[in-house]
Amino acid sequence: MASQGLVYDGCNFFRQRLVLSTLSGKRVKIKNIRSKDDDPGLRDFEASFIRLLDKVTNGSRIEINQTGTVLFYQPGLLYGGSVEHDCNQQRSIGYYLEALLMLAPFMKTSLKATLRGVTNDPVDPTVDLLKSTALPVMKKFGIGGDGFELKVVKRGMAPGGGGEVVFTCPVCRTMRPVQLTDPGKIKRIRGVAYSVRVSPQMANRIVESARGVLNQFLPDIYIHTDHMKGANSGKSPGFGLTLVAETLNGSFLSAEMSSTPQGQGDPVLPEDLGRNCAKLLLEEIHRGGCVDSSNQSLALLLMTLGQQDVSKVLLGPLSPYTIEFLRHIRDFFQIMFKIEVQKPFEDERKGGDKVLMTCVGVGYSNINKTLK
Amino acid sequence: EEEGEKGTLKWKEGLQQKASEAFLRHQEAAPNLRKLVYGSVVEADDSEEDKEELGGLFRVSRPQKSKKFKANAVDCSRFIPDTSHNWDLEEMLNSIRDCFVTGKWEESQDAA
Repeated sequence: MASQGLVYDGCNFFRQRLVLSTLSGKRVKIKNIRSKDDDPGLRDFEASFIRLLDKVTNGSRIEINQTGTVLFYQPGLLYGGSVEHDCNQQRSIGYYLEALLMLAPFMKTSLKATLRGVTNDPVDPTVDLLKSTALPVMKKFGIGGDGFELKVVKRGMAPGGGGEVVFTCPVCRTMRPVQLTDPGKIKRIRGVAYSVRVSPQMANRIVESARGVLNQFLPDIYIHTDHMKGANSGKSPGFGLTLVAETLNGSFLSAEMSSTPQGQGDPVLPEDLGRNCAKLLLEEIHRGGCVDSSNQSLALLLMTLGQQDVSKVLLGPLSPYTIEFLRHIRDFFQIMFKIEVQKPFEDERKGGDKVLMTCVGVGYSNINKTLK
Repeated sequence: EEEGEKGTLKWKEGLQQKASEAFLRHQEAAPNLRKLVYGSVVEADDSEEDKEELGGLFRVSRPQKSKKFKANAVDCSRFIPDTSHNWDLEEMLNSIRDCFVTGKWEESQDAA
């Protein structure tokens, strides 16, 4: 038992288990991966994720049984450096990037990852969303400076893909503890309406309808239109919208929507997409907090790995993914958060209940980093 | 003198027990999110599958369908929005008005 490390069941929460295993150095064994499925075992995108993990680490040991239903992972050291990876197109680059964001600050040498595949699909957070929300969250913890960037070089919609992003991140020795308890009021809304291999007019139609909803609240709205052409437009047609609300204290709340991939379900009108995406942003604002719902687990991880000091972050309602992440943090780092519900005052019009998360960091320091 | 001492010390009796009782009362009153997160981890247990019998001959096994925790569900971080919120209603829009700089400010922060 001890030699296997932590043991889990099923393929859900695959990435967080492997990421936390890599950061904590604890081995992990995942059993019964789709064992009752008609097509049992790991899927191609999971295999692709493991390969990416293998590329950024040195000395990892990965064992998979013949049917692919059992995975054993013994993490190596996070090495970083220049990495190129063709992400499997079953999932978008966001799937891989979410995990990479968590690992990147703790590498031996600064990471420069070139990821190719699907940049935008309706399932995972898109690269545009991560660029405009995850990076600011990481900056709050003291990660950043020169060469902390996520660049969308080519856009590739699902299902064909053909997109490319470059993510660079400097190494970080320790995490700064944070006190993010007041998000402040929203001062502006920014966004990107993108379109590839369709009429450039689509993006304008999206902007028009999204503005119609959001202008009821705020005049300062600017939605950038991004139409990529030729080699930079990937292999499939599509369009979509990412909206980000920025507060006075530098918190970012976001929402996004992509068109249905070609040949999968009913097509959507750009007007509907714009309007619905704007409503999703209102929903996200109703949830509120200093970190938006898609970056909750990233913020909680960085709090856990902080110096031995108290960190506080106000969040909206915890997503099911985040709740599971908290359980995994307990398993790997023996850290339990103090969770306090904050109910809004009666005459306050600031959305729903908020949750104040408090913890003392484990005092994690980057042992991989070379001393100069 | 002995009696007097007893009287003053009476409130000290069973302090620990009183404190723990008060603590437990408090814990039960507030909806405890912590217990929800850490307390009961729902595990996928194959032996507890809901089984229905069809004509006393076949057993229908519906694994995990009804379970909250799906061990083999899609690994995705997206938080599905609450569908009960209708953002076409004025009432709903009003519930978030003060989140914006254009809304009402707290007395302490209001520059006007």
